[in-house]
Amino acid sequence: MQAFQANLKKLEAADTQVLGVSMDSPFSNAAWAEKINVTFPLLSDWGGDVTKQYGLYDEKRKIGRRVNFLIDKDGKIAEIQLDNDAIDPTELVTSCERRKLKS
Amino acid sequence: MQRRTALQMLAALAFFGPRAGTKLLAQGEKKEAPPLPTLKVGDMAPDFSLRDQTFKNMVSLHDFKGKKNVALAFYIFAFTGG
Repeated sequence: MQAFQANLKKLEAADTQVLGVSMDSPFSNAAWAEKINVTFPLLSDWGGDVTKQYGLYDEKRKIGRRVNFLIDKDGKIAEIQLDNDAIDPTELVTSCERRKLKS
Repeated sequence: MQRRTALQMLAALAFFGPRAGTKLLAQGEKKEAPPLPTLKVGDMAPDFSLRDQTFKNMVSLHDFKGKKNVALAFYIFAFTGG
């Protein structure tokens, strides 16, 4: 999430809203947001309903997964980045900027 | 003599170590690889409403429809990298 914060201005300039989602409680998200100075929403999927809906819930390990979805203005999934690819948002920034130019 | 044995062992480790490590990792991956997400590029993103870290706002995906792209970043736990 720190990497997203570092790229937030670029993403916002490309008409992109960043939302973090995890199965943490709002309490731990609040503490974490403060610690790493995150200014975009960190959403609490307490219970994991949304994580399951997106097919990211690992039944065996009872955890979610590190994935980025880029959702376009029509609500369609435009890009998916999994696991380690999802940590560095550079590619996401490039693709948002490209989209902005197109529209 | 002892020194020579140690050197030999070190050489053996340098030679076999990386292979053994790769094999172990590959096995681990095979066993633990979680299933691929069920959603594909081009699918409609499921809508949601979730509470943010301020407790004040519920944020929904449909809030941004027709206005902005949304970079939805699922992370595993707070206080981890990425």
